[in-house]
Amino acid sequence: MRIVQMQMPQAATTGARMLVPGLQNTLQMQQVRHRQTKHWKPEFKRLRRQKFIKIELPNLQQKPQDMSKEEMRSRMKERGVFPPRPWMERPFHISCTGGIFEPYVPPEGDGKKSIITTSGAKQKFEFLEKKSKSMLAVRKIRSYEESFSSDEFGSYAQDIYISAHTHMAAKEKYKIREFVTERCYPEMMHNVKDKTIHWRFLQSLEPPRLVHARCTEVITKENQFAQITVRFHTQQMLAIYDRFGRLMHGSEILTKDVLEYVVFEKHISNEYGQWRLHDKIIPEWLPAKQPAPITYRITDDVVEETPPNQINAGEQAKQLEPGSSQQQKDQVNMATTTVSPTVEQISKPTLAI
Amino acid sequence: MYKVIRQMTQLKLQAPLLTSAPAASAANLLAFPQQTTTTQNVHTAATGGLCAKWNKNNHGPRKWLEYNKTVHPPQETNEEPRKAYLCHMRSNIKYSPDKMWYIAAFVRGMSVDEALKQLNFVLKKGATDVKETILEAQQMAVERHNVEYKSNLWIAESFVGKGRVFKGMRRHARGRFGRVEYKHCHYFLRLEEGEPPQHYYMPEPQTPQQQYEHWVEQMRSRKVINSL
Repeated sequence: MRIVQMQMPQAATTGARMLVPGLQNTLQMQQVRHRQTKHWKPEFKRLRRQKFIKIELPNLQQKPQDMSKEEMRSRMKERGVFPPRPWMERPFHISCTGGIFEPYVPPEGDGKKSIITTSGAKQKFEFLEKKSKSMLAVRKIRSYEESFSSDEFGSYAQDIYISAHTHMAAKEKYKIREFVTERCYPEMMHNVKDKTIHWRFLQSLEPPRLVHARCTEVITKENQFAQITVRFHTQQMLAIYDRFGRLMHGSEILTKDVLEYVVFEKHISNEYGQWRLHDKIIPEWLPAKQPAPITYRITDDVVEETPPNQINAGEQAKQLEPGSSQQQKDQVNMATTTVSPTVEQISKPTLAI
Repeated sequence: MYKVIRQMTQLKLQAPLLTSAPAASAANLLAFPQQTTTTQNVHTAATGGLCAKWNKNNHGPRKWLEYNKTVHPPQETNEEPRKAYLCHMRSNIKYSPDKMWYIAAFVRGMSVDEALKQLNFVLKKGATDVKETILEAQQMAVERHNVEYKSNLWIAESFVGKGRVFKGMRRHARGRFGRVEYKHCHYFLRLEEGEPPQHYYMPEPQTPQQQYEHWVEQMRSRKVINSL
């Protein structure tokens, strides 16, 4: 069944449509109508037909995507419409890059591995190697942006982070463009239209710090882009409501500790370039999320893996006000459940929970 | 140059004549081989109901699907969860709206499963379209509108609109003519989450007991004129 659906969905649907009237005809055989207005002699049938002037009725149910190419061509020829000009150009943005170059790999367990073990030592060595590269990149950024300071960048990045997410929750699609890159925009704004998102940044548990910096050139040598990864350890609140105001995910009265590695990008060779939110790094060692609280049907033909776009700080959930243990337990359960794949796709915006 | 063009246009007009006339030079015939065959078809797609001039701004109804974009404010935890709903339609079905009304009114207030079951036995052409529209709406409700169970839906609204009408002609006796209308209809549907109500139409029909009580009250409240 799955193969049939995948290979020829059109044929399957048309087949079903063909079958239904056929079925109806067999059923209609039972109905007997005695019509008195027709002459019984078949020779007048032709004359009766000639009373009507036959006009060509268009099939208004037919969709252009259901028509074959040849059929479409003959139709256009018939109506005297020129074929559309082929769209050969591929649109692309030059104000941001399409991904993360040399992405930062968050250390497992957030760098708590001992240096004495071999893997720990290896991790430390790699860390040092990357740090020297980051230093060079920071020096390069500073050559373009004199006031740049890696110590102060953390708090600056936090402001960008907060305003980007606030604008996303408020669905301000024009204002958010100043805080996110064009690559990030669809990921943040996809499917927020029919949701209500309540998001609050409560506090920063650790000061945000720059962990990784890279520069790259695009096309020409002067065209420089810089990317900086910042580590955020914060407390946030998130509640997502669906179109009817029913709670889909999260909670209003629950805070969560969120550990995130967020990439910021700037077109440094552009005089008016701004640091903007570009992406979030999702480590491979991130534990799988809990299944959705709602029941949903898994469709066989659509197999898509929604990448986990959230980093949870060990699924820790803390309450704002201490309540009874039972209540706390319930809320923890509510908060730690994640949305189903279908719903997950809907609530795509990269929000940390 | 002008003269030459003039001659060409003349040739164009007289092309059928030229073919029959033996005096026409072979060069002329070679130059305009297509002109000999003129288009005989008067009522073509370019001039009939498919003409581009007639089909401008010919979109179906647009308001109905806009209701799907309404976002309701978040509810408090103690409030009863709002029922999900979904509007769907199928436009320009080649079926008379007058006939479609019977089917639309038939499924009104039924649960989705019941409606689908019943429509299998409705021997009308429009029943297929209604059934397909319900199935589409049901799928949309589950996929996009956060409806958990697809059977937990009922048909809250179901009505018909008039679509495009193509006018045709027919002959009558004594050189008279009549107009034939080839009608299309729109079918509108709104599914709502939950169980269907016991009585869809207001006011609810009264039970015999209620009718009796009503009658008794009416009788007792009579005013007998010129009495004590």
